[in-house]
Amino acid sequence: MYYRETGQKINSYAEDRRMVPVREDRWVMWAFMVVMFIVVPLIANDYALSAILIPMMVLGVASLGLNIATGYNGQLSLGSAGFMCFGAFAAFNVLFRLDWMNVWVAFLFAGLVAGLVGIIFGLPALRIKGFYLIVSTLCAQFFAEWFFNAYPWFLNYTSSGVAALPPHHYRFLPFQDQIFDLFGLEKDYNAYIYRYFITLIVTVALAVAAKNMVRSSTGRNWMAVRDQEIAAKVIGISVGKTKINAFFISCFYSGVAGAMYSYCYIGNVDFMIYNLRRSFLIVFMIILGGLGSILGSFLGAVFVYGWPIFLTRMADWIFGGGTLDTAFIENNSKIIVGTFIVVLLIYQPQGFAGLWNSVKFRLRVWPFKT
Amino acid sequence: MEYIASIGAAFSEMFTLFGLEVLIGGMLSGVMYSLVAIGFVLIYKSSGVFNFAQGTMLLFAALTFVSLTERQVNPILAFIITSIVMVIMGIIIERTVMRPLANQSLLSLFMATVGLNYFLEGLAQGTWDSAVHGIELGIPSEPIFVAEYVPWLDILVSKFDGFAAAVAIILVVGLYLFFQYTRTGLSLRAVSDDHMAAQAVGIPLSKIWAIVWAVTGVITFIVGLIWADRLSVSFTLTWAVLKGLPVILIGGLTSIPGCIIGGLIIGASEKLGEIFFAELFGGQGIEHWWAYLTALVFILIRPTGIFGEREIERI
Amino acid sequence: MSNAVNGKEPHMVIENIDLSFGGIKCITDISFTVYKGEICAVIGPNGAGKSSMLNVINGVYIPQQGSITFEGKKFEKMKPHSAAVMGIARTFQNIALFTGMSVVENIMTGRNLMMKSTFIENALGIGRNKKEELQHREACEEIIDFLGLQAIRKTPVSALSYGLQKRVELGRALAAEPNMLLMDEPIAGMNLEEKLDMACFIQEINRNRGTTIVLIEHDMGVVMDISDHVVVMDYGAKIGDGTPDEVINNQAVVDAYLGVSHDD
Repeated sequence: MYYRETGQKINSYAEDRRMVPVREDRWVMWAFMVVMFIVVPLIANDYALSAILIPMMVLGVASLGLNIATGYNGQLSLGSAGFMCFGAFAAFNVLFRLDWMNVWVAFLFAGLVAGLVGIIFGLPALRIKGFYLIVSTLCAQFFAEWFFNAYPWFLNYTSSGVAALPPHHYRFLPFQDQIFDLFGLEKDYNAYIYRYFITLIVTVALAVAAKNMVRSSTGRNWMAVRDQEIAAKVIGISVGKTKINAFFISCFYSGVAGAMYSYCYIGNVDFMIYNLRRSFLIVFMIILGGLGSILGSFLGAVFVYGWPIFLTRMADWIFGGGTLDTAFIENNSKIIVGTFIVVLLIYQPQGFAGLWNSVKFRLRVWPFKT
Repeated sequence: MEYIASIGAAFSEMFTLFGLEVLIGGMLSGVMYSLVAIGFVLIYKSSGVFNFAQGTMLLFAALTFVSLTERQVNPILAFIITSIVMVIMGIIIERTVMRPLANQSLLSLFMATVGLNYFLEGLAQGTWDSAVHGIELGIPSEPIFVAEYVPWLDILVSKFDGFAAAVAIILVVGLYLFFQYTRTGLSLRAVSDDHMAAQAVGIPLSKIWAIVWAVTGVITFIVGLIWADRLSVSFTLTWAVLKGLPVILIGGLTSIPGCIIGGLIIGASEKLGEIFFAELFGGQGIEHWWAYLTALVFILIRPTGIFGEREIERI
Repeated sequence: MSNAVNGKEPHMVIENIDLSFGGIKCITDISFTVYKGEICAVIGPNGAGKSSMLNVINGVYIPQQGSITFEGKKFEKMKPHSAAVMGIARTFQNIALFTGMSVVENIMTGRNLMMKSTFIENALGIGRNKKEELQHREACEEIIDFLGLQAIRKTPVSALSYGLQKRVELGRALAAEPNMLLMDEPIAGMNLEEKLDMACFIQEINRNRGTTIVLIEHDMGVVMDISDHVVVMDYGAKIGDGTPDEVINNQAVVDAYLGVSHDD
């Protein structure tokens, strides 16, 4: 490759520990940040923001959450959407009922609520093997679906079962009204551009936090428990605490993702969208993207969410508009995603992230073979 | 205080004749779950894989059969054709998906079947449309007035449920005998325990696995027919698999008789919970998570299920 | 060569341990003492119960009967966590490395008991996080230097050869700065050069750090060369206990290894 670690000397452990050790990679990362924070808001239209960027980021965070429990800690969870549901409703209720609440605190609260629910449903992990945890998480999923249906108070008794989110829910700046007046801006606080920034900031923060945890003792303990539970116990790792910790953080991420899903992506709160199907989609995202990889979580989300859109667009572009009907797209996506999962599991168990690493590895010595 | 009283009231209501009827009805509908569970256990017992695609295979079988009968094909011929299709499907799955993954972790294998499930769903939905089809198998579904036979037992039992229970028992007894007393059965158990060791003593892995998936395919077909008669052929069938899961966990992942016991327990607890306890929790529809909660409680007490084998880990 | 066994204080006293799995009696009434700072070899034919004995010490298996007195404290049941906290480290017969991590990460994990930072500190990179990571990395690098693993420190352990994996496992055990190191067949499956290296490591660890070492081993040459004290097990029972010379001349031991027909 035209650049890699060659020539970049590392002189201290601190330098070795950098999140992005290669100098050129850091440039790429900063460039990416500039694009996301500055370029995109200037040129993107509402469609690109609302239908592509925001959902990909939100689903990326949800996948990241699941990856923490499943990829890094080996506890398979089929209830991601259920925890997202708890997060969404937690955020809705505080933003709706408390005047002083802003989105940041609301999302934090959403994460905490989902995390606590996660601890409750994760407690059985102390007694049963990693695989069997799917019972507990499925229980959580069905429970969430039932709970918010049975207690309409949480949705403020809306008859349709769906609660719209008016602009005054979206408080993200101190003295927001005054600032907007000062700059003469429209007070449509739930405009896509603001939603985009909220999502972007939360996503970047959570991704960085996840990367930090993964390369610290927290992450190492997760992986140790995943790889060799007994040996981990023998070297002094508290397996129970580690599992609960992983589950709590995983559900925290899911909760925040759920809140963002309702607030930033869909624009209303509806418990029907947090169904088992969605849980499975998130599982697919981490399988395809790569278990135990932060980049992988996002790659998987982009692929699984983006494929139907890509397909539609390509068909429209090649054959003219409206060639493919939704049923075909849906079935095709299922077949493609299903095939990719099986093929990747056989040939590249580390998913897209693993593929990317192989590419990087080969590019190190390109044009030589090894 | 009155909450506790109402819990007490609910409990005591269970011990009435109506309660008994619900219990028996629940147990019998639980047998339907057992049937699904049998398919799981078969594959798990022989290859250590938890086949999530069971539900979609069920659907596939039912859809194939229905499209044949709707085209006026003789039912018996349709049965044979569908069985052959299921056998071929089983062998293909084993060869393309299971074999290459043979040495990977259980989690990977499970994920593969999840992926396979999604693939089959897309394929099925693409090949057939999403319309709902009915199936007429000629299984009687009128209720039996038990009181006619046992004077003081004034309850109703459905003939259909009875038929399903009979099928389940035949399957379970047949499979149990097969695994315990035939040579192939023994080979299957050896393969599931340690497939490398089984190979080392000369058991032909590929043949065995092909047999397993083929047999499971046919059993799945039979189970699919019964379910389809009950529920009609639609995509909700694929979620039948999720009812099978708690059954296996209670009964033990490697135990076929356990499927029946597990099914009885889950079915009973589900119906009893729904009828007597739902109001206490504030609403209808607690069936789903109640079943999983029951399973959860069971495995907390006995992590490997009632009849499951306890694994001793060596390190 | 080695110090005399007598005159040294006991580090661990094993008394009347019985261990069964269902109907199988794995260990029958085993008692022996390991003295501070010695290298004690546990030998015996395959299936004698040696690994199980180590697992009992670590708390992985719970004996039906008997007790272990470690540094003066008596335990009827040991918990793996307590064993680790008390300074008992372990390597495993079938290598129990954390396959998803690299060499340095595995060794760093060995130091987990000394890492106090919480997940919030780790997530935000504040508080004790950075300091601990750098400080413990230095300690791990010392172990990496000692074991000669510098070139492979970032390699995922699953990509390493068997011999190197065993060395990394030793590194992980050393990272905990243990008082007692239990090693289960540390040189099995190695070639001559690797065996010599490993034997040197074991001796250096024992001499320079004063770590008591209990090792299960089949290679008689190594056992005779480096151990101070030998315990012989066969069919779950102890059949020999003493210095290497004493044990090698013990008729029961010779019979067990050469195979003598039992009239029962």
